[in-house]
Formats: sequence, structure tokens, C-alpha cells
Amino acid sequence: MKRLTMIADFLRARFPLEKMDLESMLMKKEVPVHKMSWAYYLGGLTLLFFTIQVITGLLLLFYYQPTVTEAYDSVKFITEKVPGGYVIRNMHVWASSAMILTAILHFLTTFAMKAFEKPREITWWSGLLLLFITFTFGFTGYLLPWHQLSVNATKVGLQFIGAVGPYLPGKLSELPNKLIEIIQGGASIGQETLSRFYAIHVVILPLAIFAILGLHLLSIQLHGMSQGTDDKFFRKEKFFPDFVVKDFSLWAITFFILFVLAITIPFDSFFAYPLMEPYNPLGSTPEGIKPEWYFYFIYYPMEMLPFWIILVISGVVMIVLFLVPRVFGGTDRKVLRFVASIAFLYFVIMTIFGEAIFNLVKGGY
Amino acid sequence: MRMQRYICTSLLLCFFTSLLQAYAYPEFYEYSRKVSGRAINCALCHSHGDGPEGNGAGQIGSLNKEEMERLMKARAAFEPNQKVDSPILNEFGDEIIHTLGKKKFLELKTHPQDFAKELGDAIDVDKDGIKDAEEFLDGTLPTNGENGHPLKLFFANLKKNIFHVIFAFLCVGLLFYGFAQWLVKIHIDAVLKEIKKE
Repeated sequence: MKRLTMIADFLRARFPLEKMDLESMLMKKEVPVHKMSWAYYLGGLTLLFFTIQVITGLLLLFYYQPTVTEAYDSVKFITEKVPGGYVIRNMHVWASSAMILTAILHFLTTFAMKAFEKPREITWWSGLLLLFITFTFGFTGYLLPWHQLSVNATKVGLQFIGAVGPYLPGKLSELPNKLIEIIQGGASIGQETLSRFYAIHVVILPLAIFAILGLHLLSIQLHGMSQGTDDKFFRKEKFFPDFVVKDFSLWAITFFILFVLAITIPFDSFFAYPLMEPYNPLGSTPEGIKPEWYFYFIYYPMEMLPFWIILVISGVVMIVLFLVPRVFGGTDRKVLRFVASIAFLYFVIMTIFGEAIFNLVKGGY
Repeated sequence: MRMQRYICTSLLLCFFTSLLQAYAYPEFYEYSRKVSGRAINCALCHSHGDGPEGNGAGQIGSLNKEEMERLMKARAAFEPNQKVDSPILNEFGDEIIHTLGKKKFLELKTHPQDFAKELGDAIDVDKDGIKDAEEFLDGTLPTNGENGHPLKLFFANLKKNIFHVIFAFLCVGLLFYGFAQWLVKIHIDAVLKEIKKE
């Protein structure tokens, strides 16, 4: 009974019913103004990219065929024949990368600004889940064009799941391979895999993200923007209309930049053309297969270090991330900023120089 | 007599085999790969990514009589400016032989660094705005408009789509302006309502 009361109190503090009205959530809401204020716009930007993903994704659904014989050609058809298809597809691909980038930045700045403190724990946990879902969106969507790079990179990704098996005790060691079979739908990547990835990408993940995003946004609106600074005195601006208008002006600029990028630079142009050829199950694996850039921070360490080290670090990081409100509850914002900066630096170095470091360590492919 | 027939048949076979021999020229691929740092395959000039040998579409083993004739004709185009329509080459491959001639092309095998210069600035098979000689040096596919050096594609496509870009700028700008005005009006109305109440 005591435990139930505790849970009820916890939820009451996180979802105060008295604040659930337009007046409190919109009109009376204020946003702190300080040198880290720019970070308040990152969540909104992620939401903009997600909205673009939903709209462009729905448009792509009209023509995309999720079969191994037609997937590649249908993407080619969208790009080359469908009016506006080239821009829509490019916007979808560019926005996916942009969404992941802004989600990572939002996550790091939220941590640096200590926006996980009581009563914002649910905002933090839901945000963490949204980040994982966003990565899963990237992983599942990568397979859909069914070209050499997408299929072979997915194989690499799934191999890493399988590599966990030997480190698990007893019957649990069979679990990763079973999981791969469930994801693949068979012994190897084929039609079943494409069907499953397609279903996960266009139905399961969007449903999950809508539910968790609703919770995340509700939590933010109920508690407002976190203070974000250790300073005792700082200016505040009205959320509506001041912050909202600024937020929308950023959306407009970002949308325009995205449109220009989509119309001028096909995302596929960053890859060697043999990787963009249709997947050939009988052919040899072309060189240069690697996951999308946002997985480099974990991919290159996996290639360089013993797998058990990666496993231990990943496990610890995951646990710490979920326990952040408890672990870092009493930590100074300066320390948090330092930790976030280190994490950001690591991410940037691994993304830009990961391959060079790998070649240096392992002597090339 | 029988011996003579065998010898004749063998010689004829050798002759035709030499004609049908697949000539993929790795010197050019290797050079392009070296200067660009990008992975290259035979699809740079050939119809098939694995090159001309084999039984796949666009490979010698799958050619019919008419295609074989076209192949022979293309292989005999030693001088430039001859119409080339080889079934094992893509548009870029045909254009190379058309522009340089087979003789010059074979000469360049020993110094592929001059290939781009010899090809000149006139050819852009996929009309993506990047000259094929540049695409060769960039390690991108001259027959695919979406495959090119990203920065060069940016400038070429920006020039091509400048009307769309200006139009999008105006649309986004006006839409935002209207929306912002609407939000401000909602706010003013709410404040006025509050004042009235008081």
C-alpha cells in the first residue's frame, strides 16, 4: 500500500492535473534566456525533421515496393520518373540524418543543462527511448533501397548482435542468434527480412514514436523548459508568442536549407557507385561496406577493440543513461557540461576520423 | 588432308577467340581509383559491373548475332568520330571510343593520367553538369546523374534549379510571415480580452 502511494505521489508530481490547461501549458509558460538558450530549439528541430520524415515517408509509400525483386527498381522509379520524386526521396534521406544529428545534440545539451532533474525524469526517460527509436528508424530504413550497401551494411549490423552470444551464460547464449533469426525471418537476409524491416519502419516504430513523443511533449509543456543554468538571475521570455515565433522562424530557415540540399545534392552521391548497384546475393561483397555515419561512433570501436570491452562499456553506458536522474542528480552543471562536451568530441572524432583511426590501428581494410 | 582441316579449324578458332577476347582495361580503373580514393568497378565504361566477360546482360557470353556485329564494328573503330554502339559498353564507353578512337585509347593505357585531358571538356553523357573527364578523376559514374562529386553537383544543380530555389524561398518566407502574424494576433486578442475582463 505504501509503495502504491509512493508511485501515485511520483506520478502526481510528474503529471500535475492542475497544470493541464492551455493557460498554464502555453500562455503562462516562460523560457529562460541565457548563453545556452540556443539548446532549447534543438528538440523543436528534431520534431520538425520527424514531421518531414512522416510526410515524405507517406509520399514514398505510394511507389515503394517492399520486395527484393522490385525494391531497388521502385526507388529508382521514384527518383527518375515520378514528378518531384527526386526531391521527396532526397528530403527523406537528408532529413533522416538531420533528425538523428539534432536528436543527439538535443540529448547531449539536455544532459549538460541538467534538464533531467526532478520533476523531469519522465521527460528524460521518454527522450532516451525516442533516441533509441530514432536510431532504429535509421537502421531499418537503411535496408529498404535494397542496394549493395544497404543489404551488406545490415548484415554487418546483425552480425554484431550474433557476436554477443558467446558472452552470455548457458542457454542465454543462443538468444542473440534466435533474435537475428526473428529479425531476418530466416537463415539469411532475404524477402522475409525486407518485409519485417519495412513493417517495423513504417508501422511499428511510427506507432511507438507517436505514443512516446506524446508523453515527452506533454511532460515538457507541463513542467516548462528547465532552468538550464546555475546562474541565479536570468531573464525570461514568454513561450507564446516570443519563443514560438523564434522557433518557427528557425523551422522555416531549416526547411529551406533542407529543400536546397535535397534538390542539389543527392544523398547517394556521397557513396561510391558500386555500392549503389542492386544487391546481388551471388556476387562478392563490394569494398567500402559500412553502416550509416551515425553508427560510426560504435562501429569503429567494435572493429578495433575486443568485443567484450565494447559489450561491457555499452552495458554500463546504457544503465547509467537510464539512471542519469539519480546518478547525476546532485552534480554541478559545469561538470555535466564537461561530460557532455567529452561525449560530443568523441562522437565527432569517431564520425569524421573513425575510418582513418581504424586504418592507422589495423593497417587498412 | 584431315590434319590440314584440323589445323585450319584451330587457326580459325584462335582468330575468332582473339576477336571475342574481353578487353577490360584495368589501368584506367586503377588510376581513377587512385586519384579519387573511391571504389570503382567496370560499370564505369561497361554495361555490366563485372566487366565484359561472362554470360550476364551486357556481357559477351549473352550476345546475339546482331550484337556481335555491333561489337565487332565498335572494336574496329580505330580512328575517332566513328559511330560506336557497343553492346558491352555503356554510353560513356561508347563516347570514349567515339571521341578518341580505339587506337588512341589503347595508347593511353600506358599513361592513363592523360586520359581525362585527351577526352576533353565536351562530353557529359548524363547531363548532370559535371564533365565526364572530371567524373573519371572524381571516381564517379558518368552515366548516372545522381552520382557525382557532391560539391560539384551542388553548384551544377543550384544553377539548374535556381527558379525552384527562389520560389521555395519566397513560399517559405511568406508562409512563415503569415503564420507569425497570425500567432501575434492570437496573443494580442488574448491580452485585450484579459484587459477587458479586468
